[in-house]
Amino acid sequence: MASIEVGGKSYETDEEGYLVNLAEWNADVANYIAKTESVEMTDQHWEVINFLREYFDEYQIAPAVRVLTKAIGKKLGAEKGNSEYLYGLFPYGPGKQACKIAGLPKPTGCV
Amino acid sequence: MSMLFAILFYLATLVFVVGLLQRIRTYAATPAPLKIPTTPAPTTTGGVVLRMTREVVFFESLFKANLWTWSMGWLFHASLALVTLRHLRYFTEPVWGWVAFIQPFGIYAGITMLLGLCGLWVRRLFVERIRYISTPSDHLMLLLLIAITVSGLLMQFVAHTDVVAVKGYFIGLMHLDIRVLPSDLLLMLHLMLVTTLLVVFPFSKLLHAPGVFFSPTRNQTDNPREKRHLSAWAAKLESEK
Amino acid sequence: MADITAPAYRIIPIVPALKPDAMAGKGPFVASDKINEAIGFPGQLVEDWHDKAIAKMGELLSKYRSLKVYMDACVHCGACSDKCHYFIGTQDPKNMPVARQDLMRSVYRRYFTLPGKLFPKLVGARDLTREVLDEWYNYFNQCSECRRCSVFCPYGIDTAEVTMAAREILDSIGYGQKYSNEIIGKVHKIGNNLGLPGPALIDTLEGLEEDVKEATGIDVRFPIDVKGAEVLLITPSADFFAEPHIDSLIGYAKVFHATGTSWTLSSMASEAGNFGMFIGNYDQLRKIALRIREAALELGVKRIVVGECGHAWRVAYSFWNTLSGVGDGAGEVDRFAQMLQKQLDHRYKQPTHICEFTWDAIERNALTFDKAKNDKHIITFHDSCNVARGSRMGDLPGGQFEIPRNIIKAVASNFVEMSPETTREQTFCCGGGGGLLTDDLLDLRVKGALPRMEVLQQVVDEHGVNFMATICAICKAQFTKVMPIYGFDRRMVGGVHQLVSNAIILGEEK
Repeated sequence: MASIEVGGKSYETDEEGYLVNLAEWNADVANYIAKTESVEMTDQHWEVINFLREYFDEYQIAPAVRVLTKAIGKKLGAEKGNSEYLYGLFPYGPGKQACKIAGLPKPTGCV
Repeated sequence: MSMLFAILFYLATLVFVVGLLQRIRTYAATPAPLKIPTTPAPTTTGGVVLRMTREVVFFESLFKANLWTWSMGWLFHASLALVTLRHLRYFTEPVWGWVAFIQPFGIYAGITMLLGLCGLWVRRLFVERIRYISTPSDHLMLLLLIAITVSGLLMQFVAHTDVVAVKGYFIGLMHLDIRVLPSDLLLMLHLMLVTTLLVVFPFSKLLHAPGVFFSPTRNQTDNPREKRHLSAWAAKLESEK
Repeated sequence: MADITAPAYRIIPIVPALKPDAMAGKGPFVASDKINEAIGFPGQLVEDWHDKAIAKMGELLSKYRSLKVYMDACVHCGACSDKCHYFIGTQDPKNMPVARQDLMRSVYRRYFTLPGKLFPKLVGARDLTREVLDEWYNYFNQCSECRRCSVFCPYGIDTAEVTMAAREILDSIGYGQKYSNEIIGKVHKIGNNLGLPGPALIDTLEGLEEDVKEATGIDVRFPIDVKGAEVLLITPSADFFAEPHIDSLIGYAKVFHATGTSWTLSSMASEAGNFGMFIGNYDQLRKIALRIREAALELGVKRIVVGECGHAWRVAYSFWNTLSGVGDGAGEVDRFAQMLQKQLDHRYKQPTHICEFTWDAIERNALTFDKAKNDKHIITFHDSCNVARGSRMGDLPGGQFEIPRNIIKAVASNFVEMSPETTREQTFCCGGGGGLLTDDLLDLRVKGALPRMEVLQQVVDEHGVNFMATICAICKAQFTKVMPIYGFDRRMVGGVHQLVSNAIILGEEK
């Protein structure tokens, strides 16, 4: 198994760099993963990441892209409630890249 | 020598017939558990017969794939069919009317057969992709067929053999009566090569000939929603449940 | 992964020169112990893998006529050699269908034929060494089982059958692929490929009801687990989750609403996809299909309709009747199938594709459209491989080509065909089918999309096409990902029912 080193502590990840044990996640880990993904974390990024974590806590899965855009739209204004905004933040796709930074498992299937 | 060839022919025929039947039996006995016709596919048995006929007579799929391979391949196979049928005259007395009729075509078919084979070999030798996938046996098979064709053509056009005696010999063979085979080198070579072909047939890619008829992507009707298709081993899974 | 770039378009689509070993490598991620064991496979490569693999091969040869005949019949004519999108995109000769088959055929000859036992070199027979096994893993995970080669083979040899057998053998010795096997585990455990649990599904559907209400003012329902509904909709779970998939789901719901159909989804059978087919494992294929039977029996539905998903429609159309009895024409004594078939309404085809359902309604004048709503689109249609070459719609062969096109033409005014050598039965796979839609194969996926991208570019240049419709969840996800790499907007791809959704008139606002 692969792992990453953040602040002197080792975190287990899968082959693709997704955190294996999501309870271990913290802001430092998120920042570290974001760096490997070439994503510069801003407050806007954190809004998304925090929503993902909350949703996951409730439903044990990341939200559908549509659910995510709607929630962001409600929180930050309708002009941000679209997938373009999210792709702007997470160029590799809000589903996978944001999940990875949020320490959530990767969505599988035909997505 | 006549005796040796007789034994050889009997053995080769035995291997050919038994080997081929055994192979066909295996194909027939192996279940096809799922409906996998390549669609669009015919929805009726009649349609399947038509599809198979187009495939076997005109090489429909190959036509769609590559015109060069199709034209050379079809020329070779059609010629081979004519040549083989023409050879029936050496096994029938009196010669059947239609066999006599195709005799002149059959002779020229020998030439077109050679052309087809050479065309296929050129492709195998000079097209990078085809050369890449060719095994030594692929080349040898073409060489064998070319040698059979050339030796036959030489007897036809250059050094005639005593065909009446040859015919007598084979009619004899069919009645377990070993007669005298003309001791003609070309003839010996021709016959040797043909026996080789017979023996190799059931163990080689020549099995494409019976194989095509058993190919589920071509011989299945497209009616999975209308009729439940269930193989014996798959049905067992249900009874175990 | 940022360094993955698109290959250059061919000037004229000529056959590319060979680049041996261009795609040599380790293949996609291997499934972990946990993933394999969850679905009954050995956790990792077993010690006696050689003997086990050969024994498994023997077993498959006796169970599948396709495999048996296809191992013998190939004459190396080369008809298929330039037909595979992965060969065209990668130029690796082992991605020629015939060469891919030969990876297995060479082993078959060595262990199962007389000439191969006696003269291996002569007939190209090989021992099954660890190198050969690794080569299998790599190259049998570079085939999307799209069947394009089988169209051109004079004997109908279908490389998909060989790939499935190879993957089945690999799984049986603990050498499975992570992406497919992990997903199969999720279907068994949670009910869909995504691992979307019931509550999340319900939350998503409620959100959709709100959205549609907001957009149209109409109460379009997205019912789930409704006993006694007429129609059970089985759709890929990506339709609940991903863009642009979800827009087609909205389209189906609107069609059901407008036709007054009582319908339901099922939380137990919340997946149309069946990756059991991709790994060639009959037991998995069957077990996944049985979830749908179970849901249908439990909910007491009369019809089963399948959403936009390519391989799922192949499984549903061609295999469901065999696997689970969803269909017609079971024998009198076939109690297993009769149990379900007695319940289903046989005035309709079972199962029905959502396109058949919608087209039927259009033909009955049960739906009305405002075509102008799609006027911003100049549309082309990408035939999905499994629908095109492994299924049918309607009564006539080729209905799978006509019906989706008819729907598009009924709901939109601007429709353009792509080059005929790349559509209908000769369509190219999107490059992500057959269990290859995973990020670790992105390079292969981008290269495999080349032939489709080339002809899409043509219609974009010549006709200004700005929307490519398709009816497959994998196609949608794959194109969304790879099209930007070719310089297209990812929103250019979408579902047929997305177009239906745009144009359908639902009646007056209440």
